[in-house]
Amino acid sequence: MDKTLKSSERKSISYAKWGYIFIIPFFIVYAIFTLYPQILTIYNSFFEYYRDGLNIIGPNFVGLGNYVKLFTPNLSGYIPIVKYTINTVILWFMGAVPQFIIAMLLALFFTSTRLNIKGQQFFKTVIYMPNLIMASAFSMLFFAMFSMVGPVNQIILSSGWADQPIDFLAMKITVRSLIALMNFLMWFGNTTILLMAGIQGIDESLFESARLDGSSSTQVFFHITMPLLMPIFIYVFITSMIGGIQMFDVPQVLTNGIGTPNNTSMTLIMYLNTFLGISKNYGMAGAVSVLLFIITAILSIFVFKTIRKK
Amino acid sequence: MKKDLNKSAGIKLFISRVVVYGILIFLSFLCLFFFYLMFVNASRSNAQLQAGFTLIPGGNALKNFVNAWHDTNISIPIGMKNSFIVASLSAILTSYFSALTAYGTYVYDFRFKKVIHLFILAIMMIPSQVSAVGFIQLAFKYHLTNKLWMLIIPSIAAPSVYFYMRQYLEATLPLEMVEAARIDGSNEFKIFNQIVLPIMKPAIAVQMIFSFVGSWNNYFMPALLLNDIQKKTVPVMIATLRSADFTKFDMGKVYMLMVMAILPVMVIYVILSKSIIKGVTSGSVKG
Amino acid sequence: MAEVALRNIKKIYTDNETNKHRKSLFRKREEAGEKRSYNLQVTDEGVVAVQEFNLDIKDKEFIVLVGPSGCGKSTTLRMIAGLEEITSGELYIDGKLVNNVEPKDRDIAMVFQSYALYPHMTVYDNMAYSLKIKKVPKDEIDRKVREAAEILDITQYLDRKPKALSGGQRQRVAIGRAIVRNPKVLLMDEPLSNLDAKLRNQMRSELIKLRKRINTTFVYVTHDQVEAMTLGDRIVVMKDGYIQQIGTPQEVFDHPANMFVSGFIGTPQMNYFDGRLTVRDGRYFVETKGYEVELAEDKQARLKEHNVEEQEVTLGIRPEHLFITNKGIKGNVDVSELMGSSLHLHMTVGDSDVIIIVPTEGAKIDYSGRELEIGFNGKVAHVFSKKDQHNLEY
Repeated sequence: MDKTLKSSERKSISYAKWGYIFIIPFFIVYAIFTLYPQILTIYNSFFEYYRDGLNIIGPNFVGLGNYVKLFTPNLSGYIPIVKYTINTVILWFMGAVPQFIIAMLLALFFTSTRLNIKGQQFFKTVIYMPNLIMASAFSMLFFAMFSMVGPVNQIILSSGWADQPIDFLAMKITVRSLIALMNFLMWFGNTTILLMAGIQGIDESLFESARLDGSSSTQVFFHITMPLLMPIFIYVFITSMIGGIQMFDVPQVLTNGIGTPNNTSMTLIMYLNTFLGISKNYGMAGAVSVLLFIITAILSIFVFKTIRKK
Repeated sequence: MKKDLNKSAGIKLFISRVVVYGILIFLSFLCLFFFYLMFVNASRSNAQLQAGFTLIPGGNALKNFVNAWHDTNISIPIGMKNSFIVASLSAILTSYFSALTAYGTYVYDFRFKKVIHLFILAIMMIPSQVSAVGFIQLAFKYHLTNKLWMLIIPSIAAPSVYFYMRQYLEATLPLEMVEAARIDGSNEFKIFNQIVLPIMKPAIAVQMIFSFVGSWNNYFMPALLLNDIQKKTVPVMIATLRSADFTKFDMGKVYMLMVMAILPVMVIYVILSKSIIKGVTSGSVKG
Repeated sequence: MAEVALRNIKKIYTDNETNKHRKSLFRKREEAGEKRSYNLQVTDEGVVAVQEFNLDIKDKEFIVLVGPSGCGKSTTLRMIAGLEEITSGELYIDGKLVNNVEPKDRDIAMVFQSYALYPHMTVYDNMAYSLKIKKVPKDEIDRKVREAAEILDITQYLDRKPKALSGGQRQRVAIGRAIVRNPKVLLMDEPLSNLDAKLRNQMRSELIKLRKRINTTFVYVTHDQVEAMTLGDRIVVMKDGYIQQIGTPQEVFDHPANMFVSGFIGTPQMNYFDGRLTVRDGRYFVETKGYEVELAEDKQARLKEHNVEEQEVTLGIRPEHLFITNKGIKGNVDVSELMGSSLHLHMTVGDSDVIIIVPTEGAKIDYSGRELEIGFNGKVAHVFSKKDQHNLEY
């Protein structure tokens, strides 16, 4: 029949199909390696499903059983998930507060035309560096430094500050401080650079006119810099929080996965990790993941809101 | 009077400069000190390390290196090889396919384009750990543990890299360029590979670096997936160092192992720090 | 080298097409100071960008599509190129239906407004790219590229990257890239609009020279009526997706089909007066503000042919066709601009603004503030319908 028409219909010059072709690898891989596992994770959270020695228990549907279990106090009298969430928030907060204060100060120093800091590239390079260091190795390094026989204790002993070596890894306050210090060192450079970019994005003439109007530097900061920087500040702050919720490598390696002392440095992901180890407790791990997902989803909504405002 | 005002302002500025430089030098010191100590300790023998603390490098670096290299419990050469394979292939795949996907949603008009773009933005924030449970379950079910490609292939779908590439395209690629290439007779794949990729070179380079570093340092998933010593990556090996009885180790060797884990990224950073720092800002803040 | 025929071409942008390209074009032109005044028809299917487009382009003809932004001229060009799907209608190149043929198989070349040079390739590679894709032998590519470079006087820049070139040089490279292929049809989309005024004039005359050297069919899009008048064998004036008039520059200038064309073509713009067309003894007269002339013979014939009746009309007279007389329409000179060989007088006549061009004739006459009487003759008065603004001669 009318073959020519047919073939010309097929060979349209619309390029839409190429759009699909180009995004297909992404979506296939995403579906197989991320989306499907995510759905499986959520699905698992409603089942009793774990390994006991060589036996595999389940999967048995238990409804919200895993969630109930998650929020049931353990033998020591606390609810693990709540305690670990609070731990995580405390650990993040201890690092994030100095991180944001210092980063804000540095960003102001670097962008100040009055101070005119020399060697900015050098300072930025140095303070950003810890961000790229392997967190597990960094943590291992701290462990070696602060162990009973490490250099820090050697200094303390030789200088006579204490008679006995201090067991930094046995005390709640020191373990948390070390984790916070590492997180601070790893992230303040990154935050500085982001806030700097934010300040540089503000119209220079606003600062100039404020200065001519007689504002002091503090007034300029509170009346101009901070309000205009707020969206970026919030964005960086919440993404830091989302990162903080996922804190794992540093405390895991520093405390060898057990959150010494007394689980006071056990984070959410470390808790999740314990279920994925030998016990392969997919049910409980699924429930923890769903919780993690809900927390980050709420935080992400804030991120998108701040992006929208811009 | 006027001169005095000028003078006091000058003194004030001088003092604030001294304070600011002081803070900067202190923080830089803090950032460098532990790494410096690591390098120093990696060059000292176990006996020297036990004897006391110093900031002066010892002469034992080569011996520590040889010991670390030949350690059978850790086999760092294998770890470095595995890490290198995973990190470099991930870097290539993630930047190429993210660029391709970003190009797909940027240049072509198709029905679900906006929905797809928003979808990718929405999934960007989901932590990778959320899929871990299902991922591990599947890996064990289908006997896919200890397979390096299980760490490589998923990097094809990287929402944040997509986001970065998309922004870069919007800023740098005029659609007329694509049309000019079409008229020149190029097909769509060739246009992407011969015209668009070269234009995106700076973005690709930045994302390859970040992805390489991220993959090199990644600990969570490899630790769950790899238990065969022949397949372990560097972070997993470093972590096993922690779980062994620490005090019995040759500490010089331990420090050297850490140096070997960190050094490749440090070298990359020293060479490319300028573009890396630039890349930090260009990708993340712009909405 | 080829004829191009467009038969009842229509383009509708559906809602899910984002129109990104068009938007970016509008943005560019707004930056260039062009007004965004379009009034496209919107149907259930989407925005109608072009409709009822019929045109036969002869072999080796230089056709210019001209009109304000949003008139559909670029869309039409892009449909010829194959960059844009044709919603309905038929497009023939060399007698072959090419609606669904991909651009690379249409044997066309295009010069873009932004030049769209590949930034990572040298000038040589930019020009050679299309030939390389066609797998033309290397020595032949080399010969063709050098030949084109010779014509365009860019031989010394062949090793440079586009970034290292000036705007005018980039423009030449863009043209070079198009002509190396000996395309059947050479399409140009506002190629001169990114150049400054002086370069634009220079490139315009070079295009005329170029046209003589390479024998091919040109389709050229511009919003600049001067380019249209000087370059085109025929020009197609468009507005709101419709063709307003097709004709040689002279025809379009002398016999504009409607008020839009008359106002768009020619600078300074045509003056308009409210007037009346009267018929006495089978002869047509026009009258405004008490000034009456009898229309010239060709106009008489054409009006008679269409049986035009007495009516209120809009009279259009070009500034260069108005003259100072002692028994005409009274008006006051507001501003007098000396343009060299002529004077532009901006006048207020009644409640409308009128521009008239008078020769300076050596003597320096200061017209500013004076009251003058102006007139015109029956050869140059254009008579437009009050109802639909079309030229009553058509």
